Amino acid sequence: MAKTILIVDDSSSFRQVVGIALKTAGYSVVEACDGKDALGKLDGRKINLIVSDVNMPVMDGITFVKAAKQLPAYRFTPVIMLTTEAGESKKSEGKAAGVRAWVVKPFQPPVLLDAVSKLILP
Amino acid sequence: MLIVNLDSARGALVQEGRELLAAMEEALLAIETEGYTEERVNAIFRAAHTIKGSAGLFGLESLVNFTHVAESLLDRVRTGELFVEGAMLSLLLTCGDYIGSLLSAVEIGTEAQEPDEALRAWLLTQLQEYLDGTASDTAQEVAPFDEPYARVDVLQGEPVSSDLWHLSWRLSPEVLRNGMDPLSFLRYLGKLGRIVYLHTITDRLPALGDFEAEACYLGFELEFESNASRQEIESVFEFVLEDCLLRILPPHSQIEEYLRLIRELPESPQRLGEILLQSGALTPNELDQVLTRQHAEPQPAPPLGTLLLESQLVPQPVVAAALSKQKQVEDKRNHEQVFIKVEVGKLDQLINLVGELVIAGAATNLHALRRDMDMVEEAAQAMSVLVESIRDASLSLRMVAIGEVFQRFPRVVRDISKELGKDIQLLVTGADTELDKSMVERLADPLMHIVRNAMDHGIETAEERLASGKVASGSLRLNAYHESGSIVIEVSDDGRGLDRQRILDKALQRGLVQPDQSLSDAEVYRLIFEPGFSTAEQVTNLSGRGVGMDVVRRNIELLRGEVEVLSEFGRGATVRIRLPLTLAIIDGFQVMVGDEHFVLPLEQVIECVDLPPQEGRHHLINLRGEPLPFLRLRELFNIGGRASGRESLVVLQHGNSRAGVVVDQLVGEFQAVIKPLGMLFQKSRGLSGSTILGDGRVALILDVANLLQRASALSVGTPVRVSAGGA
Repeated sequence: MAKTILIVDDSSSFRQVVGIALKTAGYSVVEACDGKDALGKLDGRKINLIVSDVNMPVMDGITFVKAAKQLPAYRFTPVIMLTTEAGESKKSEGKAAGVRAWVVKPFQPPVLLDAVSKLILP
Repeated sequence: MLIVNLDSARGALVQEGRELLAAMEEALLAIETEGYTEERVNAIFRAAHTIKGSAGLFGLESLVNFTHVAESLLDRVRTGELFVEGAMLSLLLTCGDYIGSLLSAVEIGTEAQEPDEALRAWLLTQLQEYLDGTASDTAQEVAPFDEPYARVDVLQGEPVSSDLWHLSWRLSPEVLRNGMDPLSFLRYLGKLGRIVYLHTITDRLPALGDFEAEACYLGFELEFESNASRQEIESVFEFVLEDCLLRILPPHSQIEEYLRLIRELPESPQRLGEILLQSGALTPNELDQVLTRQHAEPQPAPPLGTLLLESQLVPQPVVAAALSKQKQVEDKRNHEQVFIKVEVGKLDQLINLVGELVIAGAATNLHALRRDMDMVEEAAQAMSVLVESIRDASLSLRMVAIGEVFQRFPRVVRDISKELGKDIQLLVTGADTELDKSMVERLADPLMHIVRNAMDHGIETAEERLASGKVASGSLRLNAYHESGSIVIEVSDDGRGLDRQRILDKALQRGLVQPDQSLSDAEVYRLIFEPGFSTAEQVTNLSGRGVGMDVVRRNIELLRGEVEVLSEFGRGATVRIRLPLTLAIIDGFQVMVGDEHFVLPLEQVIECVDLPPQEGRHHLINLRGEPLPFLRLRELFNIGGRASGRESLVVLQHGNSRAGVVVDQLVGEFQAVIKPLGMLFQKSRGLSGSTILGDGRVALILDVANLLQRASALSVGTPVRVSAGGA
């Protein structure tokens, strides 16, 4: 069964492009438009990887990851964080929250696919 | 339109093929007789390659298949994997012949028949043997991209070749908890190459009771075959780097590659880390780690190269190559910096203009001061600070290392010591001491005189030296250093020293001194600089005609310098030359006598004191318990009138002697641009030049050395000729 990736980003066009790329590569995709929405998607379904933006309305990515790590079913789910900031402060916050993988926006879909494939297989 | 008359083209194919075969044969024979060159091997390869390509167009399978095998072999030769030797040359020549026979068959239309089946089979076997000799036939093939997640091929028991990357990977217990699966990284690694050998390190596995299900206890040792760069390999582990220890050891061939890349780097100034990064021998992440370690070390921290070797991140030959590259770049840069050639005329013009600027600045200052305009005064002050910086900077352009003069002496000393039959060692120190370029040119001759004198008269023969308990070989030392605004140049020898009595005798004989005169050692030694004075009993080729030392003194004095001799009888002598740093501008001290302005070089002014009216009748004053000779500028230059009010005494020092000059008024410090005196005044003693004041008036610059001599002469009552002088 295909691995499922949760994409969390407030831009619907972004989710669409990344979603198509991941689906083409053989993953199945769940979308969420912010951290709160994403937490709602962590409802017991199998999620193999989370790809989350940092800056989002309602609930930002870091808060979301912290909350996700509290959920027993998802505490070991790997997270790729998308960042536009070179700012180390966000990165160290993310590290504290348990994020290890970073991809800097903007990127071409293959870059994300490559990062994903380092962590999970489709 | 696609219908081509293949028959006519066939002839062209055969003809082209034959030409190529001829070229191939020629190149093969050339290799046999004259040796391997890249060009020759390339020519052979191109021939086979072109024949194969053309034959393909015609669908000549037999020709294509055979040439392909030969071409594969040639490709290996071309890339250096195989070495051409005699047997292979013969084989290739035979292959050429066989291809020729295939072409002949094409020409007469019998290509469907095999011309020589036995020969073909034998040749193919021979070729294949060479090809099998190189193992990389299949391994070279890169995993195709339509199979994105290549299996992790773990081949147990395969011999560990040195041409593999070696990866040591130890995972932190946190890896799994951070959502990272070690296996996924190993799988991804498989995309970059082939994992030839993998050993799982289980040393850290705890006893079952202590085993935490969520902790990772594993480590891996991998032999990895890949054409990927170190950076690419490291990037596989990008997301887990913080939770693991990763050491990547390059294969031997890769070390060669690093060495080549380091050699080929552009020659721009770089730090060791940058060189290694650019050649790919080190990744930015690894460099960061080592730099962090370096910061943590107690000061002084060990150099980066040492740390890299200790941590085994970079093999020793690569570090060595990078260091030598760094040195090479530095050397080259230093070399380039040494030679910025500027026409002396241009420099002189610049300095002249700066001189005028100094004068104009002084004038602005003066006017601002007189008009009592604070703002203008402040602006003028700020400007004069800048002008001073410009002056210093432009004067430093003229400064060159005295080594330029010194460098001719090793040869001179060698030649002269041979001529004299003495063994003399030359020791040069302070060669990088700087002085004005114009002095360098005028210093060479005096120095040559002094060195010759020291070698000829100063240093004894080996027998004499041994007899007086010295080592047989004499030593001559050239030294230069800066001291209080002057440059001092010393020529020292460890010879017999000056003979005070002999000098005195000679001086009496020549009438230079009176029999009843008592002279200090320094004064006696100074006599050797008098014209026509020579104590050498024999006149040699080199010196001893008595024309040496007085010329030396004259030359040095022309440079506003002074020369003195220090000597210890039997132990050696030192000739010390003291020169101002530059000839163009001096920091002056301005004084007035009557309406006349005079400038004294500031560096020679020690202090200024009031002259009590009752003092000064005997040209000697008691200054804090020390007798100080002095003279009055008013008397010296025959300026009429009397001083109104109190006179001042300016205490001057030149070399070791001190004296005072009495003036009416002290004006203050002043940057004097030295203008040489006209021909008419060249001979006047006591003056070294003139300068233009801010208000356009001319002031004379006094020659302190001469003034001091006069003062001490006056004080002991010896009559001294006062030469004419005046504004």
